[in-house]
Amino acid sequence: MTCIKIVVKQVGKRHKRELRLAPHATIADLLRKLDQNRETIVVRRNGKIVVEEERLSDGDLIEILPIVTGG
Amino acid sequence: MLKCTFCGRRAAYNRRYAGVLLCDRCLIKSVEKRFRRAIAEHKLLSPGERVAVAVSGGKDSIAAMHLLVEHCGRKNCELVAITIDEGIKGYRDQSLPIARENAKSLGIEHYVVSFKRTFGATLDQMVRRANARKTELNPCTYCGVMRRSLLNQAARELGADKLATAHNLDDEVQAIMLNYVRADFSRLHRLGPSYPPREGFVPRIKPLREIPEKEVALYALLRGLEVHLAVCPYTGGIHTEIRDFLNRIEANHPNSKFMILRMFDRLKPQLARIVPEFEMRRCKNCGEPTSANICKSCELLKELGLRRLRKTLISPKSS
Ligand code: SF4
Ligand SMILES: [Zn+2]
Ligand SMILES: [Zn+2]
Repeated sequence: MTCIKIVVKQVGKRHKRELRLAPHATIADLLRKLDQNRETIVVRRNGKIVVEEERLSDGDLIEILPIVTGG
Repeated sequence: MLKCTFCGRRAAYNRRYAGVLLCDRCLIKSVEKRFRRAIAEHKLLSPGERVAVAVSGGKDSIAAMHLLVEHCGRKNCELVAITIDEGIKGYRDQSLPIARENAKSLGIEHYVVSFKRTFGATLDQMVRRANARKTELNPCTYCGVMRRSLLNQAARELGADKLATAHNLDDEVQAIMLNYVRADFSRLHRLGPSYPPREGFVPRIKPLREIPEKEVALYALLRGLEVHLAVCPYTGGIHTEIRDFLNRIEANHPNSKFMILRMFDRLKPQLARIVPEFEMRRCKNCGEPTSANICKSCELLKELGLRRLRKTLISPKSS
């Protein structure tokens, strides 16, 4: 089984990260790995807002947008 | 690709507590429906009323302003917007122009009331003073107490019948839990979809109270509204711990936030029996309504060695 490679950008942080995940991994799996709670973020996959149950594909760009701002 | 339960388009949101997937259009429609339902069910607004909406520039208040403007158009209500500029560098100075731009594009009169002009100090300066004086208070205490008081006064001066705030489900449930943790009956008792009229207070309404924070954010993003999405530098402390705790529970047990809200709404009538009624007075210092001799804002200012500089907030210039 070969891994898939994706790029993760957390909006508000500078760096993009490249991550390797198991094939068939979902966005929810990725969020667990990054210790991100789905209640507090919105995820864009290749520019489109998607649900966390979508499977990732090799080369995906995932943006994580924090929505909890306080105040 | 996962599809919307209702129309088959690409899903943008998994509403786990209801077991449905929603596309962008169905999510927008659903949020608008809930907003209208909250207004109808709790009789938040009557036709012809003048409504002041508190707008910070964040996703919740921008969404609320757009929802209200459409509602007011249909129901013949008049809408004005108020922004309290607490003076938080790198945060409020960025969200304020966004509030202003949105109000302008919607053709809404917009008023800005600043801590600096009213109290002679920004929140940042107050926090430095508080630290120097070693008070144990959190910045959010100053910010919250003074902002609430200024919003009420500004809405009253503007002749508003209602003051709408953008508190969402998450905000409300966090407030319920916080008051539990602090055993603060009187504050707990004041939570709810609206706050009944009392001398000196403009009745407050919360039309987003039954919409989860994430759905409000998605509504704003999917509609392409311009919003400010940064984190206040002063967030932290028990508020953040309670928020994280609730989000963990919700992620593992969807619908928990709604359950906490429903439970509270059923308990609320009982609370009236144990919360003492208090007489409303006028603050000896600023004239604002309070249950004590001096209002909480003036008390906090005094501790910081500050005082109120302006009695009236709304001048033609602040628009
Ligand atoms: S997080 Fe605290 S200091 Fe920041 S805007 Fe909210 S109440 Fe004010
Ligand atoms: Zn749909
Ligand atoms: Zn006072």
